[in-house]
Amino acid sequence: MAHVSRRQILAERSAVLVITVLFLLPVVWLITTAYKPSNQIFSIPPRLDFVPTLDQFRSIFSYFDVGSLVRSSVIISIGTVILSLLLGVPAGYALARSRSRYASFFAYFFLAIRMVPAIASLIPFYLLMRDIGLLGTWWAVIIINTMLNCAFVTWMMFSYFRALPRDMEEAAMTDGCTQIGAFWKVAVPAARSGIIACVLFCVMFSWNDFLYPMFLTKLDSKPISVALLTAYGTKDITWGSLGALAHFSTIPIVLMALFLNRYFVQGATNGVQ
Amino acid sequence: MAQIVFDKVSKTYEGGHVAVRELDLAIKDGEFMVLVGPSGCGKTTALRMIAGLEDITGGQLRINDERANDLAPRDRNIAMVFQSYALYPHLTVAENIAFGLKVRRVDKEQIARKVRETAELLELTDYLNRKPAKLSGGQRQRVAMGRALVRSPNAFLMDEPLSNLDARLRGQMRAEIAKLQKMSAVTTVYVTHDQVEAMTMGDRVAVMNKGTLQQLDTPRALYDKPVNLFVASFIGSPPINFLEAEIIAGNGGPALQVGRFTLPLGNRGAPGRKVIIGIRPEALRPVASGTPGTLSARTAFVEDLGATLLVHLDITEAKMVHASQIEDEDDLKVVRPRLRAMVDGGLAIAPGEPLSLAVDPAAIHLFDAVTGMAI
Repeated sequence: MAHVSRRQILAERSAVLVITVLFLLPVVWLITTAYKPSNQIFSIPPRLDFVPTLDQFRSIFSYFDVGSLVRSSVIISIGTVILSLLLGVPAGYALARSRSRYASFFAYFFLAIRMVPAIASLIPFYLLMRDIGLLGTWWAVIIINTMLNCAFVTWMMFSYFRALPRDMEEAAMTDGCTQIGAFWKVAVPAARSGIIACVLFCVMFSWNDFLYPMFLTKLDSKPISVALLTAYGTKDITWGSLGALAHFSTIPIVLMALFLNRYFVQGATNGVQ
Repeated sequence: MAQIVFDKVSKTYEGGHVAVRELDLAIKDGEFMVLVGPSGCGKTTALRMIAGLEDITGGQLRINDERANDLAPRDRNIAMVFQSYALYPHLTVAENIAFGLKVRRVDKEQIARKVRETAELLELTDYLNRKPAKLSGGQRQRVAMGRALVRSPNAFLMDEPLSNLDARLRGQMRAEIAKLQKMSAVTTVYVTHDQVEAMTMGDRVAVMNKGTLQQLDTPRALYDKPVNLFVASFIGSPPINFLEAEIIAGNGGPALQVGRFTLPLGNRGAPGRKVIIGIRPEALRPVASGTPGTLSARTAFVEDLGATLLVHLDITEAKMVHASQIEDEDDLKVVRPRLRAMVDGGLAIAPGEPLSLAVDPAAIHLFDAVTGMAI
């Protein structure tokens, strides 16, 4: 084992500290903006000794139906997660257990779907949704997000199930399960951390998605990510409102990430325990 | 209880690789059958065909006189112990053992009772609430056994269940599995590449090589009467010595000309025939140098095994034949073959010294030099 000196440890920790501060600065700026009186938002140098105020929150609650915005975001995210997993997990499993030599190719093909630029698929999808009468509903966003996320889930679960020994499912089959039973009762629980990582990716993607809901939803189905743009007025930008509204957009995701952090790292690094 | 019959069963993979070639094997009800052979010999494929985890491409597999080629694994009521144990990582020991019963919708109280009994039998009672990740290798192995035992299946299939254990534990579990099998009297098919397991556990042993059954017999018969060079080299530890020889007409009947040496042969074989002789290391015994009818060689090195010495000798005046028809064939071929003799641990034998070794004519195995079949 290489000897790690105290100086090295100190240097490492300092570097981590600097990077963390750099990453957190915008977040701190965002949060403090929401609590600063309007006239202090742009004071230079930035001041931290302001008297906190909830004026910005009062203002956004009077302009926006925050509850409805958050509800739309939640519905779109949960809908996307459920559909993406229902389709992507079995598809990933089927590819992982396929004896075809093209299985890997297909898995990467699915990943390629995820890489299509959002704007490229927007126009045909918009027309499609208009024709089937789903434009302006949550469904329109859920369906397109599912299409993209499900492709990603398929690829990710493919790699995950590939790393899972086949023995376990074979044991389940000799124990009396069908192939589908072995999948549900053994493979899925054993791939739990991968599935949780997929949930996190899907939620983050659809919660933060801006472009699709911007064009595919209307006033009563608009999620919070789109509402943030409303803070950009025609003449000026109400930075305080933006800061306050950003609380509702970031806190749920941060909480979820903190809560599921352990699984996320395990799943994303494909670590089968 | 089950009787399992392979009737000319073959397995050919896509691409033409033949894993099992026209296997004929009848496993009797309650029998402990060991399938042994080097890796890639088809033994695991044969086992997986019984479990229904591998398609059969030719011939017929019958379980209890019924064709089982197309039966799903779940419809065979067979329990399998995997080399990796294949425990369900998200379930506790108790849930792992109960899994097969639960899937078959056995009544809850009965499951609890059976799990308790099985855990007691395998000394797992204290670990019932643990997850497999928190168990030692030996404990995991016992859970895998428990999962099989609890179901009272038609047959147990075991795929190298001891290969992940350390040597001491392996010895202990070997005896335990054999005991459990005798106790339950359930037909058992046990796959291993370890000939010690094969010799000590099986009622009968099927030796396989390159997808073909070489010999099916009791462990004793395999050791005493191997049918060909492969079986002779695979069974027995340390491995048998093979030497090129020719049967000649000696003074008192046929004898063997082994290089410069002449060994008595008893009343066997026709003079003039080229043969390969097999002499087990334990059949060689040191005698005073210059005794007629013995082999002489120079001691290369000595492995002291305590009760016995394994003496490796360089023999220059006779030609040895590689016994390496087993795994790592190519690796072993680069090593010079040496004569091995297992002698009393009390003897003082030093490297570099010449040693004369005698062998009882009845302990010499004769094989045809061309076909490799026993004579």
